[in-house]
Amino acid sequence: MQLLNKLEGDQTMIGASDKSRLTMTEFAKESRIRADSYHRYHIDTIETPDRQSLPNRFLVSVGKFGLAKLLVSEIFEYWGKWDVVFARPCTYGVFSGPVGGFSPRPEKCVGCLRCTIEHPGFVTITPNPALETLGDSYLNSKIISTIDEEARKGTVPVRGQGYRGRFGGPGWDEMFTDMSEIVRPSRDGIHGRELISTIVDIGSKPMRLQFDSEGSLVSAGPKMMSIQVPFVFDSPAGSVMSPRLAKIWKTAAEQVDTLALISADIVASNNLESPSVVPIFSLDSFESANSFKNGTRMVQLDGWGASEYESMTSSNPDLMISVRMSFEEGWQDQLSEMVDAGVSVIHFVANNHGEADGGRFIMDIIIEAHEMLLKAGVRDKVTLLHSGGVVAADHLPKAIICGLDAVGLDLPLLIAIQARLSGDTSSRERYTAKLPKKFDDKWACQRIVNLTGSWRDQMLEILGAMGIREVRRLRGEMGRAMWCSHLEEEAFSEIEGFTGGGI
Amino acid sequence: MAKSKLPVFPSETLIHKITHLMHDGMDARTSGEFEIPPALGDARWTDELILSTWHMAATGTLPDNLNYKTGESNGGFDRLDFKLLDEEQWLKHSEDIKTSIPLNRRGDHRKKLSPAIPIYGGGMSYGSVSVNVMMSRAIHAKNWNTYMSTGEGGYPEELYDCRDHVITQVATGLFGVEEKSIQAAPIVEFKYAQGAKPGLGGHLLASKAGEEVAKMRGSVPFVSLFSPFPFHSTYSVEDHSKHIDWVQTINPDALISVKVSTPHDVDMVAVGSYYAGAHIIHLDGGFGGTGAAPEIAKKNIAMPIELAVPKVHKFLIKEGIRENVTLIASGGIRTADDIAKAIALGADGVVLGTSDLVAMGCTRCSNCEGGPSGRGCPWGLTTTDIELQEWVQQEWAVKRLDNYYTALQWRLRDILRKLGLSDVKELVGRTDLLVYTRSDLK
Ligand code: SF4
Ligand code: SF4
Repeated sequence: MQLLNKLEGDQTMIGASDKSRLTMTEFAKESRIRADSYHRYHIDTIETPDRQSLPNRFLVSVGKFGLAKLLVSEIFEYWGKWDVVFARPCTYGVFSGPVGGFSPRPEKCVGCLRCTIEHPGFVTITPNPALETLGDSYLNSKIISTIDEEARKGTVPVRGQGYRGRFGGPGWDEMFTDMSEIVRPSRDGIHGRELISTIVDIGSKPMRLQFDSEGSLVSAGPKMMSIQVPFVFDSPAGSVMSPRLAKIWKTAAEQVDTLALISADIVASNNLESPSVVPIFSLDSFESANSFKNGTRMVQLDGWGASEYESMTSSNPDLMISVRMSFEEGWQDQLSEMVDAGVSVIHFVANNHGEADGGRFIMDIIIEAHEMLLKAGVRDKVTLLHSGGVVAADHLPKAIICGLDAVGLDLPLLIAIQARLSGDTSSRERYTAKLPKKFDDKWACQRIVNLTGSWRDQMLEILGAMGIREVRRLRGEMGRAMWCSHLEEEAFSEIEGFTGGGI
Repeated sequence: MAKSKLPVFPSETLIHKITHLMHDGMDARTSGEFEIPPALGDARWTDELILSTWHMAATGTLPDNLNYKTGESNGGFDRLDFKLLDEEQWLKHSEDIKTSIPLNRRGDHRKKLSPAIPIYGGGMSYGSVSVNVMMSRAIHAKNWNTYMSTGEGGYPEELYDCRDHVITQVATGLFGVEEKSIQAAPIVEFKYAQGAKPGLGGHLLASKAGEEVAKMRGSVPFVSLFSPFPFHSTYSVEDHSKHIDWVQTINPDALISVKVSTPHDVDMVAVGSYYAGAHIIHLDGGFGGTGAAPEIAKKNIAMPIELAVPKVHKFLIKEGIRENVTLIASGGIRTADDIAKAIALGADGVVLGTSDLVAMGCTRCSNCEGGPSGRGCPWGLTTTDIELQEWVQQEWAVKRLDNYYTALQWRLRDILRKLGLSDVKELVGRTDLLVYTRSDLK
């Protein structure tokens, strides 16, 4: 530590030795270099316009006859006061085209309803059914529009007035997150948010270190890596994934410093190996794993096979090997078996509506899995990832509270690049995606980066409100969750007719 | 931000034209002459709730053909109903049914304030709304012998005319907090958190922080203003107590209100606030209104007011201090029925904010933070744009609010008499008078 001797001019600074004696100018320069070299993690978002815009939110219909009549009467009534005659209700430019209300521009309408209230006889504003029918019952039009906005702007969606939706559940809506009236992650900055870490570790931490009688370490150290955000990019349905999308997934993952999980065939045939790419192998093709170079840190087995895992591990001792498993009946036994076999990264999968294990919602299943590992005393030996049903920014911290280390995103990335989904969108494989006719990879990559920037910032809002300084501490912090049905039980149990909370 | 031209102060004729179109249009929609606008409303504030609020604001009476009681959120207030007596047991509708509540229950030497209704106006800062809106709410509060809060944006000079009815808010940014405004206040409100954005502080967009607003807040015009979270001088209940001492040194007569959000430990927070010296514990639930808040905060952080009120009420009873403190609920209270339900769940009274705005014409379009125009509310409510703010003329707005509260009070008395109660104070915590209904399940 340098101590300041004198505050002005080129006076010397006292250091630990004469050698480290610096002039004031040198000290300032060195400090500057040190400050400039400090890298605080940040996702660079840039507004990135649409390529295939969503349908307008509202339809604007103006009766031409009514409008003409209004104009004529106002011209007579306010003759000469042209500011009054031409003052129109819309402050958003819907009626500001060359012929005003005779050819409205509905794409600018935000639904303030001034026009239709002021002129009920000839102006009608209607929610656009084409927008409302987008998506399905889970990934609905509201979620799609929100992702679209997040991917375009890269910011946290902010609106005036209060909440507009349902009281509580189903699904993730069953959970409210806690906040603290006075505790903050930091007293620095505006909210201390900029000091919250979103790094998560992937891999296994040894539960203890072992030494021999000489005091030398005999057990293996931690085998893990860190990514900067608690989400990875997962592969969409096989029929949707393409070499082009894979390249976009990879580039965006590198930019954000996370991982892109891509089928090993696509990785190999398109030279996509990278520390940020996790090739996925089927149980019958895992032998080629050792051919993956270029810094590949982790590979994934698509399904559980004890012998395949064993063989893959022994032939790839330097690679981290994760295993994907779906929550089907009997998953608890399979999970135990995998943990016993030493699998350190387990990637759960549910359908796109977050349902698994005979229709249970994943929130409960994740909690069960997390608690099972806690009880067995092995939770820190395993990283838990999950894909399926995480489609909105609030789902991310909620999934982590339930016990995940990180989530896998696939459909939100497709929506971010304005893909239109059809087919059986609840299934992970039986849907199709129509991408914009014209787009370049840079555009798509930035849209995905923007989405991640927005979701990360929204997670910081949740963590900041709780006063939690790093996302790793959120994992399994069920004490910071409030369950609507429990609260209802507590609040309403003595009220006649109350038969239990929830939907 | 697409600004085609700079807004200018509108001429009298223009104000006349626009306000007439707005007012006539609202009346036409509520009278049933035209259909309900298809794009109006949402699950919490349905189209019928908005139109019925407009009807009450226009006429001072309840509408015949609109649901003025509940929304469609499938939970909370929307699933509660009253266990009314048989008709022959109903009391007569009468002004003798008392709706006034005491705010100072500590029994100390400070002011003994009793608003005529168990309602007062929530904080909306100068900057988030115009002086016209603030003044309309203040005059209306005076007319009703109740209160409204400045929010965190200072105390415009005009408000001193209504000083006995204006609550001075001290929030985390301390914007516009002055000795003078604390001395003028019958109640000083410490805002720890806001239900719509709990734990996140406030943010006034640069476009709304114009010359006058900046002057009031002691800041630079057209620079965004952040109200940090939390109070940087408060780490504990003891620190909070220090805050209260500081205000009470400046104004020894003022009541102290502590506005907090609804976290897990809201019951503990309430007890701590009481022992620090608060007269009023004001709980602000997650579904309340705001000038601008991250969407993620509105539903997900902290609990709805319906769930927080009974929790705190029961805990205060357990601690033996319920009788010494006034419990006020806000954040998602929309109707007279909601008010009565909040009281039956354990509150003494409520604070309204969004409902006031809806009474003055708000359509709940969510563009308050500026919207693509960057100018704020097109109805002139949540804006300081020199043109748009003129669409809310004080005389009209005060009348609307007065009418609205007349209808609210009427309905509140109606509920009380049908429950056989002659005083709103008898309703506090009477969950036995509520029924939980699942008939609205959708
Ligand atoms: S509803 Fe509002 S935004 Fe839409 S056209 Fe009418 S005035 Fe413009
Ligand atoms: S912009 Fe105006 S009308 Fe729209 S929600 Fe905000 S206050 Fe209401």
